[in-house]
Amino acid sequence: MAGKRGGSSKKLLHALDLDGIASTLRNVSLPGKALTWSRFCGALSLVLTVQLFISGAAMCLYYSPAPGTAYDSVDFAMFSLPFGSIVRGIHYYSWNLLLAVLGLHLARAFIIGAYKRPREPVWISGIIILLVIPLFIITGDLLPWDQKGYWSTQVRLSIISSVPVAGDFITRALRGSSMTGIVALTRFYVLHILFLPLLLSCLIAVHFHFLARRGIAPSLKNSNSEVSRVPFLPDMVNRWLFLFLITTVILAAISWYWPAPLGDPADPTDSSYVPKPEWWVLFLNQLVTIFKGPLMIVGSMIIPGGVIIAIIALPWIDRTPDRHPMRRKGVMIVGAIFIMLFFLLSIVGYMEHHGPLH
Amino acid sequence: MGKRFMLLSITTALLTFTVLVFISTHEAGAAKQTLVVSKTQTPPADPDDPVWGKAKALAIPFEGKERFAEKKASVTTRALYTSDEIFFLFVWSDPTLSVTKDAWLYDGKNWSHQGGNEDRISLLFEIDRIDKFATKGCAIVCHVPPGAPNAKEGKFGTVSDAERGDLWHWKAARSDPVGFADDTWLTKISEKKGGRKSDAGEGGDLKNMTEDKAKPKYTLAPGKKLGKHDILLASDIAEITDYAAFQAGDILTYRMPNMPAGSRADIRSVSSYANGEWRVMLYRKLDTGNEDDVAFNPKKKYNFAMALFDDSGDENSYDSDVLTLIFK
Repeated sequence: MAGKRGGSSKKLLHALDLDGIASTLRNVSLPGKALTWSRFCGALSLVLTVQLFISGAAMCLYYSPAPGTAYDSVDFAMFSLPFGSIVRGIHYYSWNLLLAVLGLHLARAFIIGAYKRPREPVWISGIIILLVIPLFIITGDLLPWDQKGYWSTQVRLSIISSVPVAGDFITRALRGSSMTGIVALTRFYVLHILFLPLLLSCLIAVHFHFLARRGIAPSLKNSNSEVSRVPFLPDMVNRWLFLFLITTVILAAISWYWPAPLGDPADPTDSSYVPKPEWWVLFLNQLVTIFKGPLMIVGSMIIPGGVIIAIIALPWIDRTPDRHPMRRKGVMIVGAIFIMLFFLLSIVGYMEHHGPLH
Repeated sequence: MGKRFMLLSITTALLTFTVLVFISTHEAGAAKQTLVVSKTQTPPADPDDPVWGKAKALAIPFEGKERFAEKKASVTTRALYTSDEIFFLFVWSDPTLSVTKDAWLYDGKNWSHQGGNEDRISLLFEIDRIDKFATKGCAIVCHVPPGAPNAKEGKFGTVSDAERGDLWHWKAARSDPVGFADDTWLTKISEKKGGRKSDAGEGGDLKNMTEDKAKPKYTLAPGKKLGKHDILLASDIAEITDYAAFQAGDILTYRMPNMPAGSRADIRSVSSYANGEWRVMLYRKLDTGNEDDVAFNPKKKYNFAMALFDDSGDENSYDSDVLTLIFK
């Protein structure tokens, strides 16, 4: 039977002129260590991205991008369609997890010095991917047209507009008019479902391209030892499929018990609504709170921009070939201070907006 | 062992993180009061049923307007649900029991209407989303601006046909004696009429008066008993044939409650008044299947607002802010 099925699939691939590509993929192999659990975060990031694309495409089928109908279409999809709440929940929890998993992925790459020669392009493309994800969140937040999304967008646009020279232009380009209305919603929607997914797909392709060409970072213990290789098809693909299945089940179960939040419908006249920042933006929000008035740009642009530039430039700042963290104490201390500041600002921000930690 | 430990650690960390994200996100929002509807296997039988202890009490503040301007009231509210029904319990202080609703009084010569109105409580939910109801509450639908062409004909209504509200109206004299709250709904306010409509079916009350409106037309039918608070029910009446049989001081109900039927009979009530306190329980199917009712889905949250009437008409009420209803 197996032989017959294999024969059929070969015939199908040949008929579709895909047998060459299939043969190439079958010959691709990876170092065996690519399948170790310590490299779990990269595979999970890819799986979560696919989850986001699929669940997002499903939600598009029912979404209506106009202020008068957007909220009702989301409400309808969530509560009147079978599994609508689960699909939106998977989308919601996936992006939250993706940010965290990408953060862990970055932290691991930093600790083992995976950014060093010859893997600088892998590092940089990874950082850019991490920077693109918040753009998805920012554009996606407005789409349900609920109070939280609407007023969070207002706050973000206000912060963007404070950026000298380009601030007003970017705000106008995003909003399309003086009010956050139908033009802004349409632009955010098109960015969210078309331009940003295209950009992210290209970046992921670039990341994998450099990963394939420059290789994954060897283990710190046996960096020179020859390791066994495993085929990309089916071993690596099977692992991704297994992860996809597991995350789908877990996220679906979470979404079943705790559906993704949908606040009250947006009321642009209700200026009393104060949006509370989400976990991933608490540290930035706190920076903006610390640097007020004319110094706002320090918190909103100079510090975050400086940190991003420093992270991107890390392969050229830390040029020593040594990758072991114990022999890169200076870089590790700076990294640890940055992480502590990140958590400290986040905790202070949380307490300020949500009350004391329970 | 190492792989298992790593997998377990990562899974635990990610799940913990997801829960934290959920908690931090779900508590964000406006400072609206939230009434939690708790699940119960045993439905409450009356306002004093111990099963109400499962439901968290919420003290809802009310602001008086018109005659009650500057005054405040509070209604302690609880809510429960079973697999197919939802129950509300409202408890509020009211030193006077008001169920007169213009009852007839005979002075030995003539019949006249007694002064006095009735105590009431009403709730408004959205059947289809009413623009800005979630943030402005009843102010959006209950109060037509002064000078509006239809202000006299009816003050309630929405701006468009697509916006519809479900109005539950418990009336101490006109609906409670038959064990119901009046089930009505709200739609677009027209040039000539308000947007308040009765649900499909029978209900409401029957005015007890002769054609010249000078005296009552009906009395209690032989063999029948007066209803709660000595109110004459429309189902238990007989036409008065001998007005001479009445004595000075006799009282007859003017607004006689009808037994509701159809969609208008969806909301049942059980109530008691004692020691200056109303205890009113309203209950209904979660989803009645009727187009003129809100369908409750326990996965969803709802906005609602309330009004309280103390021996008063529609103009003089205590109003609540808009609240959130969630199921747990």
